[in-house]
Amino acid sequence: MSEPEAGDGWVQVRIPPERTDQAKRFVRTVLREPFQSRSWAELGYFLASAVLTCVALVAIVALGGAGIFLSVVFLGVILLACGLRATRGLGAWQRTLASRLLREDVTDPEPFRPRPGFFGWLRSAFGDRAAWRGVAYFLAKVPLTIFGVWFALSVWLEALLGIVSPFTGGHGVGRFGFLGWLADAGSGNGPDTGFGTHVAVFLAGVLLLFVAPWTMRLVVYLDRQLMQLLLGPDAAASRVRTLEASRAKTLDAAAETLQRIERNLHDGTQAQLVALAMRLGQAKDKLDHLDVADDPADLDAIRKLVDDAHRGAKEAITDLRDLARGIHPPALDTGLENALATLAARSPVPTEVTVVIQSRPSPAIEAICYFCAAELLANVAQHAQASRASLTCAQHGHWLRIVVRDDGRGGASVNRVGSSSSGLAGLADRVAAVDGHLTVASPAGGPTIVTVDLPTHA
Amino acid sequence: MAAADALRVVIAEDSAILRDGLVQLLTDRGFAVVGAVGDAVGLERAVADASPDVAVVDIRMPPTFTDEGLRAAIALRRERPEVGILVFSQYVETRYAADLLAGGAAGIGYLLKDRVADVADFADALVRVASGGTALDPEVVTQLMGASRRTDALAGLSSRERQVLALMAEGRTNSAIATALVISEGAVEKHVANIFSKLDLPATSTDHRRVLAVLRYLEG
Repeated sequence: MSEPEAGDGWVQVRIPPERTDQAKRFVRTVLREPFQSRSWAELGYFLASAVLTCVALVAIVALGGAGIFLSVVFLGVILLACGLRATRGLGAWQRTLASRLLREDVTDPEPFRPRPGFFGWLRSAFGDRAAWRGVAYFLAKVPLTIFGVWFALSVWLEALLGIVSPFTGGHGVGRFGFLGWLADAGSGNGPDTGFGTHVAVFLAGVLLLFVAPWTMRLVVYLDRQLMQLLLGPDAAASRVRTLEASRAKTLDAAAETLQRIERNLHDGTQAQLVALAMRLGQAKDKLDHLDVADDPADLDAIRKLVDDAHRGAKEAITDLRDLARGIHPPALDTGLENALATLAARSPVPTEVTVVIQSRPSPAIEAICYFCAAELLANVAQHAQASRASLTCAQHGHWLRIVVRDDGRGGASVNRVGSSSSGLAGLADRVAAVDGHLTVASPAGGPTIVTVDLPTHA
Repeated sequence: MAAADALRVVIAEDSAILRDGLVQLLTDRGFAVVGAVGDAVGLERAVADASPDVAVVDIRMPPTFTDEGLRAAIALRRERPEVGILVFSQYVETRYAADLLAGGAAGIGYLLKDRVADVADFADALVRVASGGTALDPEVVTQLMGASRRTDALAGLSSRERQVLALMAEGRTNSAIATALVISEGAVEKHVANIFSKLDLPATSTDHRRVLAVLRYLEG
């Protein structure tokens, strides 16, 4: 069709091409839908889960009712507990149905972990949130199933009955529903159902065939939501699981720290002290065997031993002090300002320090902040080849931002490739443990800016 | 010191400062230090090369810093039982001591590193181990006593007899035990005889019975 010229009297209706595409796609979808396996799977799912819901309802009512009735005797309590355990099983079946037929994967709830002993089991069964939520699911499923029968299943039924009605002579169309009404209206014309009515019922059936998948989809959609809400792990439980995981990580980190300290003590101070004791022991031994008229050579040997011991003692003191500072920097006792200033003063690269803090963060955050700054300044000294560095620590509301900047050669990265960057990765882990962030901006050629954000209280 | 002249010692200790100290100390006491190495592999090689009378072995050595020294010592005992082994550690681990003594207490020593401060005692222990005796740290003995699984065998001993037995386990002679407990040597001999009879040890040579008593005591 040629483009009509403007001004030749035609009213132009321009439909944008994508709009026509959309319309085509919509029509195609509607026409195809009854013949998609998904629609039939949903119908199958609805029927199967309706049966399961009936079973569950019977179980809940029977066991629950009997349990409550008998709860005056102990048996009732046991019945109720068994009922709750059974609900979990039914919930698992429901999840299997959903995953097989709907490809809807609902995560299994947290497993049942009974306490030891029979009464422990009983208490756990009653306290099992997943089981109670399963009960809630099946109870909510009852009205949804009734709604589904009325709103979706009936449409499928009527569609099929309508389509087959020409072959059954209108039998089975029934007295109810839309088709029943149509047949009734038709039979008003004469004693027998007229041809027009047959055609109308058939066409209505065909029409309903294209509607049925969509009403069913809505019902199934509601069911999917219900399943995700009540049959999956509940929010509180998954929060608990997250916290458990992070607690485990923290404990591991603490154990690792203790091991590192032990190793340092064992290899450093302890060995030094043993060597020291050994030398003094030797000196004492020599003194014990020293004759009054001895030659000066032995005295010299003793003096040398004592000298060595003296030097060893001083080394041990230095090592021990460094180690203690690594465990808890004493400068932190008076606050971050002092500690960071001390840290910067010890750094071999001239470092400017700015600290702006309104209220003291929690001790854990102060410690992390301090060790981050220490590690970052050590990195500057070791790797950056910088001539100047700056360290700022500023509080913004509930956050503490530490920025370490140097004018070195850049190229630092958090990735665990190369030995020089492993320190940054370790820091990032440590910071993440308290929900903080670490970012590195370090183009080749510098400058390097490492920013650490920490919550003031964790 | 003349007796020590002949003793050839290999030292396996990863801490350089301690290794050098030990070499100096033992050389000073007249031992011949024929090898000083920093790990278990080095120990194996040094023993093969130098055929020492005794090896001083640190338990924690590279690469894992757990018990490689101990494992090397046990392997050494299996392959060359004639070499005395003095295990040398910062800590006492009951299981380590039990593993080490599983094959018998002769020629075995297990001392805390602290003991090196008493140079004469340390040298004595080394000589004892080199000549097939036993030298267990009092700390080791206490722990093994606590971990003893069959206390009933020892239950019949009086507290004095237990003290004597503990000192025997450390590898001390009757006269040394007498000095330590401030009793006469005759009294010690009487206690020892009582221990033997109470532990139902056969009347063979006394030294053998001493070792057996110690083992009975340690393994419980």
